[in-house]
Amino acid sequence: MGLASYVVKRIVVAIALVVLVATINFVIVHLTPGGPTTVLLTNPRITPPQRAQILASYGLDKPLYTQYVLYIVGMFSGNWGVSYFYLEPAYYVIAQRVGNTLLLMVPSLILTIIVGILLGIMSARKPFSHFDRFVSSAAFFFYAMPAFWLGFCLLTVFALDLRMLPAGGMTSIAGGGSITDLLSHLALPLVTLVLVNLANFSLLTRTSMIDVLDQNYITTARGKGLSDRLIFYRHALRNALLPTVTMTGLFVGFLLTGAILTESVFSWPGLGLLTFQSILNRDYPVILSLFFIFSVMIIASNLATDIIYGFLDPRVSFG
Amino acid sequence: MQFAGARDFLVAYSRNKGALVGLLYLIGLLLAALFAGYIFSVNPNTPYLSRTLLPPSLAYPFGTDYLGRDLLELIIYGARTSLTVAFGAGVLLALIGTVSGLVAGYFGGEVDGFIMRTADIFLTLPTLPLILLVAALAGPSLVNILLIIALTSWPVMARIVRSNVLAMANQEFILVERVMGASVKRILFDHLLPNQMSLILVYTSLSIPIVILTEAAIEFLGLAPISISWGFLLNIALSYWIQGAWWMSFFPGFAIFSTSLAFYLISEGLKEVLTPKLKRKRESLAVQLAGKK
Repeated sequence: MGLASYVVKRIVVAIALVVLVATINFVIVHLTPGGPTTVLLTNPRITPPQRAQILASYGLDKPLYTQYVLYIVGMFSGNWGVSYFYLEPAYYVIAQRVGNTLLLMVPSLILTIIVGILLGIMSARKPFSHFDRFVSSAAFFFYAMPAFWLGFCLLTVFALDLRMLPAGGMTSIAGGGSITDLLSHLALPLVTLVLVNLANFSLLTRTSMIDVLDQNYITTARGKGLSDRLIFYRHALRNALLPTVTMTGLFVGFLLTGAILTESVFSWPGLGLLTFQSILNRDYPVILSLFFIFSVMIIASNLATDIIYGFLDPRVSFG
Repeated sequence: MQFAGARDFLVAYSRNKGALVGLLYLIGLLLAALFAGYIFSVNPNTPYLSRTLLPPSLAYPFGTDYLGRDLLELIIYGARTSLTVAFGAGVLLALIGTVSGLVAGYFGGEVDGFIMRTADIFLTLPTLPLILLVAALAGPSLVNILLIIALTSWPVMARIVRSNVLAMANQEFILVERVMGASVKRILFDHLLPNQMSLILVYTSLSIPIVILTEAAIEFLGLAPISISWGFLLNIALSYWIQGAWWMSFFPGFAIFSTSLAFYLISEGLKEVLTPKLKRKRESLAVQLAGKK
């Protein structure tokens, strides 16, 4: 089977998976006690006619399977319903915040990967040296740390004690939307995300580098009398980075959902904070739309990883 | 690897100093949590309005909170919450993962396909938001939180056990058993399972920090508040942070961090002793774990 048909087949499977996951999200939301209508049904101050009217206006009076069909069709066509809390289309509520999340996530993704890979390579050059031990222990140290607590500690030191950086949010009124103002708000959440996630990439790169250096073709290259530098960076590194590609794919979803904690601590007005607030407000149209976006992102990044992997590793045959 | 006895095992395990420290820390915490009623007052929730928001001192090493409760006491009692969820969810996810992995690997075919596709779907769910939502809807209960975490974190364990079973299913001693007409139950639980125990133990101890961090996250966001838990203590500290009561957030957070670190150190030690051959494979476990934190 050729590459094109492989890609097409994978995309079809991915779409089916999106529908399935969206279905599971719907079922969980509607079957858990305390689902969408409970608030309305248990509030004694809402009279029965009012209740019927409210239910009808949100389409909650229809049978569950009709709601389900409307939900699935709506998700794929961008018609995500009206937020119970903001009383605006859920699509609009989310669209306002997507940029903010990307502003935090994209730089932290890039920084984590670059710094992680560099530290991993430097550790692998001399395994079990003092440097290697220090980097590995430090990576583990931050990996075991709750992101929200690390954020807290950084805020206490840099915002409360030293008064160097703002205590949260994305912009300040005094800053007037300048770049330096934005960067000063971005610094702490960014550092938190990078530190907590660094171990994923540094430990992985280190181990796969050490593994690769142990293989026969490296011995062959040594036998040919190639220089250490050439072997390390040209022959070994390329292959050692393959697992990192897989990690990156998994990491996208993980970073996205992990944003809930970091954004909450730093009051960063992105999708993570919105997820938390919507759960608190029981704002089901927004919750379901956010879950849909998260699922699509996770499935899409897994798909992209598989396809890129195929290009990078000649041993993988598309089939 | 076989050990003549518990003593040999402990000697081998103790060679890793970090693992030993982790184990001693955990035993200390467990004992303190168990006997908290004898060490401290019986009800840590009693407010003492004469001693609110005291910074750490000799009398109150971790300080006191806005109700005058002793933070050291709250943290020791809070260990009960964290450790219950940690061990409960750990055992449950190990159980679900092991049984589904064994069955999938041994029977193969459609059974395998069904179980592994289910696992794949679980791996593509937005886990943390879902856990938070269900915890918020189902209400604050230790059992709910424990169940939710276990039910969303078994797939990686299932994958690991399955791939190991596949590698073993065609080995001679299993074939011999089959030819001799041993029951499926006997092959699965008397032969395949014991050979997986090291791996299961190592992986379970590796998953527990993630369980602890997830439980703390649910509590920290205050979506299903259990009054005496490390995460919820941090949540309360949010309101007193600006007044400079750093100890209210520092110590509960440090408890979460040090306990999850202790489990990592223990899993590292177990890995070296129980699965020496796995050294190369270990980071593939780390890859599978990513995205589950």
